Amino acid sequence: MTELTFDALDRDEALTEAIGELFGSTRARFLRTATLGSAAMLSTLMAPSEAAAKVSDLDILIFGLRFERLQATFYTQAEELGTIGRMSAAKQEWARTLGAHERAHVRIIKQVLGPKVEPRPFFDFGEDNETGAAFTRTAVAMEDLTVALLTGVMPKVRDRRLAAALFGLLTVEARHAAWARNIVGAAPAAQAFDEPRTLQSVQGAVARTRFVVRQPRTSAKRRPRFTG
Amino acid sequence: MPARRTARKAAGAGVTLAAAVTAVAVSAVALRSSPPAPPAARSAATGGPPPPVVPAFAPGAPRRLGSTRHVSVWAPVQRSAAARAAPAAAAPVVAPLSSRTPEGTRNTVAVLERRRDRSGAPWVRVALAVLPNGTTGWVPRAALGGYGTVHTRLDVDLDRMRATLYRDGRAVFAAAVGVGTAGSPTPTGRFYVRNRLSRYRSPAYGPVAFGTSARSPTATDWPAGGFVGIHGTDRPDLVPGRISHGCIRMRNPDILELARRMPVGTPVTFH
Repeated sequence: MTELTFDALDRDEALTEAIGELFGSTRARFLRTATLGSAAMLSTLMAPSEAAAKVSDLDILIFGLRFERLQATFYTQAEELGTIGRMSAAKQEWARTLGAHERAHVRIIKQVLGPKVEPRPFFDFGEDNETGAAFTRTAVAMEDLTVALLTGVMPKVRDRRLAAALFGLLTVEARHAAWARNIVGAAPAAQAFDEPRTLQSVQGAVARTRFVVRQPRTSAKRRPRFTG
Repeated sequence: MPARRTARKAAGAGVTLAAAVTAVAVSAVALRSSPPAPPAARSAATGGPPPPVVPAFAPGAPRRLGSTRHVSVWAPVQRSAAARAAPAAAAPVVAPLSSRTPEGTRNTVAVLERRRDRSGAPWVRVALAVLPNGTTGWVPRAALGGYGTVHTRLDVDLDRMRATLYRDGRAVFAAAVGVGTAGSPTPTGRFYVRNRLSRYRSPAYGPVAFGTSARSPTATDWPAGGFVGIHGTDRPDLVPGRISHGCIRMRNPDILELARRMPVGTPVTFH
């Protein structure tokens, strides 16, 4: 099986830029050749101060929903655009299964958050879900990132039953990541240990991908000048 | 004081979350047909390891997407560009594409087709809000923002003077409408909803007005170029009827109902 490098998954360098911004350009350069999933790379992604990262269960769920929405929209839109339909049967099965799972995750987290649910963000995936190759590459990166995120936040969850529920999501996301890696011919489990990432570092990485964008302003409080 | 307020706010949020988690956990447990034995009793009886913690929630069954036959794609125009006759930088210009509408909102386009040029750069064929109606052109993908999708379409039957909104192919709303007069008819063809205006002071347009990509071929000297809208009215007694300069007029309760159901990007057919 071929080794998957971060560079191969990050062609527009958005994630590398984000990491460079967070941790310095030396680390970002290091990542370009690091093997994805390696402990060295993932520990590089950790935030400088774990102690400074105080997050509540509510923060974790709110960011969790934002991240699940990102994933769910990525898969759903790829299907609506016909990208998934043009892939091989095995890849279609993989992508449709993952899309259905991510939508189920969005539904339940929304239900748990109730009135605390944030407005749905608007996403701009550019070309990343328009071709099979770009879609697959980005899906692998997203699933790996999700596993690192959940691994990082789990010890911070205070409510034991919430932790139990999130463990259920983590194990499924780990299966997604392994399946995605298998789909692209990479080692499903590259290392014996998954290093965690903090919520803050994942927030930064997601922000720098520019996938989450401002909602286009398509409504206004202006007098119409239509033909009447 | 601010610290205390923050603490109170955090505590409030914590209570809300705990209540939500409890509610979901209770319903999740209630759904199970044969709940496990109480943990204490089971542990004591078997002397085995403690039972697992009951998760606060469990996602429902995953659902695959249904048919995408009724899905339409639209996109905001991120930067002004020239729409061309073919997906190539050297192709003749069909029309300029602005990033703003005359109403000051972000311009949007209906996405019809995607293709790559010889260099591999992606292009998108879009419906243009220009005369003659029905004009399309190719723009670089980079000129557009993220895609939006809608599952709705609006059908306006000009003969019957009736509008019907469909969602996933099923009629979900219908209303009588006023349409263009014989001298200033509503143009026919396939268009899309470009924007939505509200909270203005103009009773003639009712409480909400949708801008469409349709343009009146006869009212070209109208302010902003004669775009056809779908809006309310201060003369509900005239609906249905052939009463407008091309716009679709609805009674105000109907336009408010439509506004709850019809997102920007919805395809519109006038026929």
